Amino acid sequence: MAATTVLPRPKAYDDTFFKPISLWLTTTDHKLIGIMYMVTAMLSFVIGGIFALVIRLQLAQPNLRIVDDSTYNQIISAHGVTMIFFFVTIFVTGIANYMVPIMIGARDMAFPRVNLLGFWLVPVSIILYYCGFFTGHALDAGWTGYAPLTEAAYQSKSLGVDFWALSIIVWAISGIMASTNFLTTIVALRAPGMRFSRLPLFVWAQISTSILLLVVGAPLAAAMILLEFDRQLGTHFFTTDGRPVLYQHLFWFFGHPEVYVMILPAFGMISEIVPVFARKPIFGYMSMVAALFGIVFLSMTVWAHHMFTVGMNTYVEGFFMLMTMLIAVPTGIKFFNWIATAWWGSIDFTVPIKFVFGFLATFLIGGITGIYLASVPVDTQLHQSYYVVAHLHYVLFGGSVFAIFAGIYYWFPKITGRLLNRTLGEWHFWLTFIGFNGTFLIMHTLGLEGMPRRIWTYSNEAWALTNMIITLSSFLIAFAVLVFLINIIHSWNNGEIAGNDPWQGNTLEWATTSPPPPYNFERVPPVRSFMPVRDLRESGELVEEPPVAPVPV
Amino acid sequence: MRTLLSIAGLSALALFLSSCDVGGISPIFPTPVSPNGKNIYDTYVGISIFAIIVFVGVEAALLWVVIRYRRSAQPAGYVPPQVHGHTGLEIAWTIAPLLLVLGIAGYSFAELQRDFQPITGEQMLVVVSGHQFGWDYEYQNGVVVHQEGSLSTEVPAFVVPTHTLVKLQFRANDVIHSWWVPAITGKTDAVPGYDNFSWLKIDRAGKWKGECAELCGTGHASMQIVVQAMDQADFDAWMAKQKAAAKPSASPSASPSP
Repeated sequence: MAATTVLPRPKAYDDTFFKPISLWLTTTDHKLIGIMYMVTAMLSFVIGGIFALVIRLQLAQPNLRIVDDSTYNQIISAHGVTMIFFFVTIFVTGIANYMVPIMIGARDMAFPRVNLLGFWLVPVSIILYYCGFFTGHALDAGWTGYAPLTEAAYQSKSLGVDFWALSIIVWAISGIMASTNFLTTIVALRAPGMRFSRLPLFVWAQISTSILLLVVGAPLAAAMILLEFDRQLGTHFFTTDGRPVLYQHLFWFFGHPEVYVMILPAFGMISEIVPVFARKPIFGYMSMVAALFGIVFLSMTVWAHHMFTVGMNTYVEGFFMLMTMLIAVPTGIKFFNWIATAWWGSIDFTVPIKFVFGFLATFLIGGITGIYLASVPVDTQLHQSYYVVAHLHYVLFGGSVFAIFAGIYYWFPKITGRLLNRTLGEWHFWLTFIGFNGTFLIMHTLGLEGMPRRIWTYSNEAWALTNMIITLSSFLIAFAVLVFLINIIHSWNNGEIAGNDPWQGNTLEWATTSPPPPYNFERVPPVRSFMPVRDLRESGELVEEPPVAPVPV
Repeated sequence: MRTLLSIAGLSALALFLSSCDVGGISPIFPTPVSPNGKNIYDTYVGISIFAIIVFVGVEAALLWVVIRYRRSAQPAGYVPPQVHGHTGLEIAWTIAPLLLVLGIAGYSFAELQRDFQPITGEQMLVVVSGHQFGWDYEYQNGVVVHQEGSLSTEVPAFVVPTHTLVKLQFRANDVIHSWWVPAITGKTDAVPGYDNFSWLKIDRAGKWKGECAELCGTGHASMQIVVQAMDQADFDAWMAKQKAAAKPSASPSASPSP
């Protein structure tokens, strides 16, 4: 490996988004697949966001009829399904698909063709789900699709539930493929010197996420298959004559770990970004890793906290309450370690770190309201109310989505070779932060006052003002997303040239070019700690090349 | 002394939380009228004490980091100390949250044992059945109150006497529903296939509203609940009127349609 010969870059990699369609369709390059994952997820985000705006218009005032009750139920279901299955999970899979092989110094994923198939199952899954709308009646029982409401007896005229169940089965298979691939890649393809104790925390987060999805993907598919047996073959697993609550157990055995499938990669991104911008190593690397696995273990023992009102034995409820509250311990460790990492630091408040602090400030609220919800007696009041809607958006939007935005601003220069516009980024952050809190902070009070979630309309005048504020704020978020999309499109072609390492990063992706060549590294840099690129920079081995504009071929 | 302080703190907090009610925006449930609702309310307030401390403490730390440790606030050429961790600190912030959540879990579990066990010795039993879209309340003497779902008009009240321990037995005829009147107590699901239980004992006359809390189809939003508590004498008069009204057409409406 002495002489490094510069390989000519293939013609297809002309560093712009406009590559030949045949390349996009057939590529097994983890980076291009990662980009396709992320673009697909972003399209879902926009679609899911439009559904959210329709919901907010309908609820803006009492007794409105913007959409009818049946359409409304389909829209809330579509909002949940799209955001959870097709946006957040898909986006974090995409960014990991792009970054994990580079961060461990690998050339590609372990099974590139499985990667290709795993990705293309995602659009299949999405299209299957939306086919439901063309049958005239899509899923209308919420994203959780509780039986027996989804059973044939109550859905006589609709194929929407079947399309949804089929879509989720395909989605679960895709997730299992991706998880297997990630685990194999990380175990087998690490660069020389990249011991487990030197893995970047984002990679550790991806290990824990993949384990979770491997364990819980199959029960989700099983629940959907049993539901289809009920609907198509006339069995009685979850019907009124069967055990409807069994469906909830199966669904939430997937559903709660799914929350961590969405948040653990976010934790990983935060753990990468804070040290880079604070110019300090991560505080408590080992306890960060231990906390991840604590969460993995605990998250599989808490599912029935979604079911505290179905009438379980109080000791069983007590167990699920305790396990749920215990998750606060590893999450707390991570939280305090992030603060300690930033403490005494020299933080450069660029857009990515702003989103990180937005994440910390809001995710904390989601964590605290989670303790209230875990307490069985209190949950009997809060369950299925707007308090829960507020809570879940604080962890999913305030948590995952803020971290995703941080990750986008952080890694966009690596992926495209260009920086996102900072001014637009600042606008994006502040509009999102204000709009988000305006929407969801006040929403807690609606639940406390007795407004159930998933109601099409309401006649209580006392809720009118709150709902109006929420609706106005939600349009602020929509405007922020518009600013963000403009920034992405503008900067992809005209952004400032980033160079290989615009942030002075710690991990291996910053040692290669922006965007990286198809083979990732001409020569994999030596790895001596969990911050290999910083080591090289300090020892003078990293040759800083002047930023070169990506040249179209 | 310490208990006195904590009681004072609790009531001050409760007062603070309930006085925040401005324009229908309130950080706590409506004042509960049934003992189980009151105990849930107290549990909520108890958790809030710790929640507010943690919230204020951590947000203050974040704010401090943002203000104090930004690059522009540091001297030029400042190199941050390269700290990799501190075992003592890491153990401390593992143990402290652990103790906190164990305390909260224990406190909640005590309330769970107190108010969420199936009760015996009730003075009245009412079978509450949910269906698409409405509620039926069947008293032991056969009188049934029908609350058929409606968005525009108020449904007839489910009437109970005050100071009476009423056991509620929940059933569902089709899909899952959830019976929730926040001013009385927490919700209970009505699930097809088995019976669920809850109870109430309302200490004053009045009328409270609730809704079905489990998405049950297109009419979900219309499944209003109205509970009215009357003094025993008023209740007896009301019951007599119901019996008289039910007499002529007793046989067809005796049981809800399957």
